[in-house]
Amino acid sequence: MRKRRASRREFLARAAAGAGAVAGAGLGSGAAAGAQEQHTSTGASAAAQPRSEGQGHGAFFNQEEAAAIAAFTERLMPGAPGKPGAREAGVLNYIDLALAGAYADLQDVYRRGLSALEAHCRKTYNESFARLAAARQDDVIRALDEGTAGGFTWPDAKAFFDTVRTHTMEGLFADPIYGGNKDFAGWRLVGFPGAQPVFTPADMQSRQAFTRAPIIGLQAQAKRS
Amino acid sequence: MATEKTDVVIVGAGAAGGILAAELGKAGMKVIALERGPRLTTADFTPHDELRYFQRQELRPNARRQPVTWRANAKARAYPLPILNYGNQAGGGTVHYGAVSWRLHEDDFRARSQTIERYGAAAIPSDSSLADWPLSYADLEPFYDRAEYDLGVSGKAGNLQGRTIDGGNPFEAPRRRDYPLPPLLVDQAGALFETGARKLGHHPFSTPRAILSRPYQGRSACTYCGFCQAFGCHVGAKSSILVTKLPEADRTGNFKAITGAMCYRVNSDAGGRATGVAYYGPDGSDNTIEAELVILAPFIYDNVRLLLLSKTAKFPNGLANSSGQVGRHLMAHIGARVFAAFDDRYVNIYMGPSAQRHTLDDFNADNFDHGGLGFIRGAQVSVSPADLEAGPIGAAISMNPPPGVPRWGAAYRDFLAKYFARHAAITAQTENLPYADQTIDLDPDVRDQWGLPAPRLTYDWRRPNELARVEFMTRKVEELGRAMGATQVWRSPLGSGAPGAHHEGGTRMGSDPATSVVNRYGQSWDMPNLFVVGSSTFPTMSGFNPTLTIQALAYMTADAIVTRYKSRPGPLV
Repeated sequence: MRKRRASRREFLARAAAGAGAVAGAGLGSGAAAGAQEQHTSTGASAAAQPRSEGQGHGAFFNQEEAAAIAAFTERLMPGAPGKPGAREAGVLNYIDLALAGAYADLQDVYRRGLSALEAHCRKTYNESFARLAAARQDDVIRALDEGTAGGFTWPDAKAFFDTVRTHTMEGLFADPIYGGNKDFAGWRLVGFPGAQPVFTPADMQSRQAFTRAPIIGLQAQAKRS
Repeated sequence: MATEKTDVVIVGAGAAGGILAAELGKAGMKVIALERGPRLTTADFTPHDELRYFQRQELRPNARRQPVTWRANAKARAYPLPILNYGNQAGGGTVHYGAVSWRLHEDDFRARSQTIERYGAAAIPSDSSLADWPLSYADLEPFYDRAEYDLGVSGKAGNLQGRTIDGGNPFEAPRRRDYPLPPLLVDQAGALFETGARKLGHHPFSTPRAILSRPYQGRSACTYCGFCQAFGCHVGAKSSILVTKLPEADRTGNFKAITGAMCYRVNSDAGGRATGVAYYGPDGSDNTIEAELVILAPFIYDNVRLLLLSKTAKFPNGLANSSGQVGRHLMAHIGARVFAAFDDRYVNIYMGPSAQRHTLDDFNADNFDHGGLGFIRGAQVSVSPADLEAGPIGAAISMNPPPGVPRWGAAYRDFLAKYFARHAAITAQTENLPYADQTIDLDPDVRDQWGLPAPRLTYDWRRPNELARVEFMTRKVEELGRAMGATQVWRSPLGSGAPGAHHEGGTRMGSDPATSVVNRYGQSWDMPNLFVVGSSTFPTMSGFNPTLTIQALAYMTADAIVTRYKSRPGPLV
């Protein structure tokens, strides 16, 4: 069992680092069963709470989990005036929908990762992650990124960080039909014009930002701001 | 359970299989191709969607249902690879590839002899199985020409029958005529690369690609949308096998493709003759095809796996394996890469045909003196988006920020916001040498969705020769980044020893049945009515992308089957 867990940890770490890997990161039945047991006790009370509408979650996350992910992803890609961040782009909504659908096999990564994150924050700061000051949240995230945060087993701290980072980037930069990149917030941030069907020779030779056509998404277009 | 009879069964309708299907069908042979993925159409590729096709890899095998495992050496534990970088549909990898289309150099076909002649035998690492090919560039040239004109490749000749042509690749081997289509337009990054490389005395040129710069054979030209690598082409300008050879095969009236069909065994009789194949249908059915000729043309993993799975009492080590060479000499490219950021202009790297755009060949093959460098063979150097495809997900995942910038938080956000449209990647794609202990075999523990043992790769590119080459090339691409006028140039981490792109080897071709699996035509030495066609037959890999060579070899094999084997079945060599 220990060997199998180690293999999954390594797999996940590499999966989160690689492009497109997260969708293929399979969880074996052993670890999933273990995660399930642990989740029953921590998740039951939260699941019983009514979910409010319009907060960009509800397909998978409970309210506490949603608050933590919203805060976490906003620290990874924080918003500022004129610079849309994760919250404004709806990254929480993207991850919530993905975990209820395409990434359903990663549900336990989030359940267990968030549970360990909460335990780490309560032990270290006697407070939940979402309620910590931004600078403290950054300290916690840095400890995850560097693999020094205590209390994580599977996923380990680094793997959990990598997974959330990858999904934050997807939520910012994937087409809005997947629930993030609201009003092309991510594409506006970096100056990506979306799925343009054609670039002209003049476009190709320009040394300026592309402004000839509106941003094109799968279902909508937006005026360049 | 169904049983069908045909003249030829081809496993895999990709770069090689599609060409063989059309050419043999035109010659009146009845052909059935088994394709494990679907057969999509150009209409399936609108609109472009980075999450679906790049990040979630929809045109590639599902790494969970079709696992491939990797370990660095025979003592290590093998783990499933998170990403499988090959095709999983009719047309194979040519549907989603960047369409870079190279002819190999003359010395690529004789890497061993060339090295010994120029540097002495001691220059070859003692554990490397570096070998010459059993054919020369001149033997393959007519088939390179045919592939370029038949499929549609855009580029500019650099060596026309021995005459050096300005603006082309001066290091290329002589070609009988120019490309059928002029080079694709040069984007900003390509223009900077051109200028910077010239400043350094190198010889840059527009990368030849199987993407139409002008309308050709009823297909429309490239629109420079930027969605090539990882995507299907929405206008059919990419000369994939899906839009070129498969429709041609259909028109012969002699061709049938069975999709969702997973071939799991080559059947053979006690006389040592292949009798056909067994495959699982999309409905789970177990089916048989009886054929006079069996051609294996899937990705290299499945060539090896099929031969090993098809063992019999007569061939206890697998088919075509009397040499014991099946599964050996696995090779793959590694990208030594730097990123370059520009403060004085937008580069808008998301525009234009993706993948390797502008190239220099000065440090490839034996085009430069390796004396005293501590390594042999070279690398192709080119400029591209961060991860060959050009969207922001790819940049955020694949482009590490420069030293001093964290990979998250406000500083990272500002870095990405400023440089996403102002960055380029410069990559040296290295020719890693063959080593006999770099292998593909059957994983004893992991099985795929059909219950078949997963292909297991035992491979670590981090050999002394390869590490020395990577460091040399990284310095060259750093120099190039600065010559291009970049404000910042920084290295991309090299990662683990796992194989990178463009796998080769596993069913090596050669002149001697004792040390190779197939002859120059991909024909098994042991079983003359069994052919293996694809990059698994490459004895060495070159720093160039393999597809055009796979295709040229497929034309050559088809030609030999039609003109010789068809009337007199038997060994072609």
